[in-house]
Amino acid sequence: MLGWFAFLFWWFQITPIRLWNGLSGLGTIVVLMIPPSPGALWLDILKGIAESVAMAFLGTFIAAVIAVPLGFLGAGNVVVNTLAHFSIRRVFDGFRGVDQLIWALAYVRAVGLGPLAGVLAIATADIAVLAKLYAEAIETAERKQAEGIDAVGGNKLLRTRFGLLPQVLPIMIAQALYFLESNTRSASVLGIVGAGGIGLAIAERIRIRAWDEVAFIIILMLVTVAIIDQISARIRRKLIGGRDTLAPR
Amino acid sequence: MLELRGLTRRFGAVTAVNDVSLTIPDGQMVGVIGRSGAGKSTLLRMVNRLTEPSAGQVLYGGRDITALRGAELRRWRTDCAMIFQQFNLVQRLDVLTNVLVGRLNHRPGVMGTVTSLLKMFTATERAMALQALDRFDLAEVALQRADTLSGGQQQRVAICRALLQQPRLMLADEPIASLDPRNAKTVMDALRQVNREDGITVLTNLHHLNTARQYCDRIVAMQAGRVMFDGTPAELTSARVQEIYGVTEDEFEEQAQEAVNPAARQSQTAKPGLALA
Repeated sequence: MLGWFAFLFWWFQITPIRLWNGLSGLGTIVVLMIPPSPGALWLDILKGIAESVAMAFLGTFIAAVIAVPLGFLGAGNVVVNTLAHFSIRRVFDGFRGVDQLIWALAYVRAVGLGPLAGVLAIATADIAVLAKLYAEAIETAERKQAEGIDAVGGNKLLRTRFGLLPQVLPIMIAQALYFLESNTRSASVLGIVGAGGIGLAIAERIRIRAWDEVAFIIILMLVTVAIIDQISARIRRKLIGGRDTLAPR
Repeated sequence: MLELRGLTRRFGAVTAVNDVSLTIPDGQMVGVIGRSGAGKSTLLRMVNRLTEPSAGQVLYGGRDITALRGAELRRWRTDCAMIFQQFNLVQRLDVLTNVLVGRLNHRPGVMGTVTSLLKMFTATERAMALQALDRFDLAEVALQRADTLSGGQQQRVAICRALLQQPRLMLADEPIASLDPRNAKTVMDALRQVNREDGITVLTNLHHLNTARQYCDRIVAMQAGRVMFDGTPAELTSARVQEIYGVTEDEFEEQAQEAVNPAARQSQTAKPGLALA
């Protein structure tokens, strides 16, 4: 174990001197950040943040909508065929293995620089994960309500619509809101590879060492993310409520 | 006329229902009694094919129900409504929509399906639903969510839903096992009303001998998957019960009660409203 660590330290050439220099470099940056300043182009910064939030919202929304039918397809209690169900789940897993940033790089090549690439990257990366989460939520849904629809003579579609959807929709929306929160954070990085949003502004300011403006953007981002977290937490509480429909009866 | 011929269901090595043959004329109210595990529930669920028989036949008006597939099977399920012990309503939807669910298989074609998916029901259908609710004093809760109702109310909503199917038969699987005595009475009264006023055949599983005696025209007693008694309430004397089950009537009631109670207690902790109602 110790040898393994020693090897890694040697491999990455981690020495106390480099660590010390790095820390002092970081210290210099922090000093340069104080006081944070909006700079001359503060309007662009605001626009960039708004763009990041909009990208996160649109990307998450697209993913959340497309994931609903996929989630039902991936749920064992809807698609009873084990082979079909198993292969759909493995496809979800495959997509999940590719990070958002990789998708962003690919989409920048495919559709060009700008927020469209970012939106598509967010959507593509999240569809599979949301579909998997949705499928799991559907599988834990109470069977009795769906059986009630069977007994009425409802077909498979109606059984899903009335017997399952009302149970899982609030959970689906809550999960999509979680993703919106996390995407607001990650949307700021996508700009660095040219996929739109505030990231580009950060990258440019780091290049010209305008650390005070970087600090300003970071603070603004933290506030934005906090606000979105608050709003979404409130909606989620309302949706799920104190009453858990998935509790066994 | 509903006819069961040699109906059998095996779960692995266990035979839940063993060669049951019954003939039930239209309009009769039949109570099926027996201990937990006697096969009552499986028997009922084979009639609307929520459980597939291993052997034997279900016939209705001479038609072989056991051979039905797809849309025909769903048609039969609409004709033969089912009431469940746990009501099986859509908890998050309002009462009116839950009742309208009974119409789902009466709405043909692509348009019918699309409007159903969007919960767009016609004024006539809504009026039907409200009328049914009003009949069982539930009109004022029509717009409440199903999970805000007491167990007794939910079961009566389930009966309204069943009525909107315009069924010829109603199966009730332990309809009052999760209810307190007062609610149990309103639900049993509702079932009898459906039987007497609408002429719908009612086939219900019950664990109380007295309830069965009080409400049913005919009692079928099951033991270990077999029918041990089939006759009028008057014929099911205490001596007969002891002969079939080897215990006195009081002991039988106690055992039956124990068998259903865990479920009842569970549903009470999940819905505090039930205890209060």
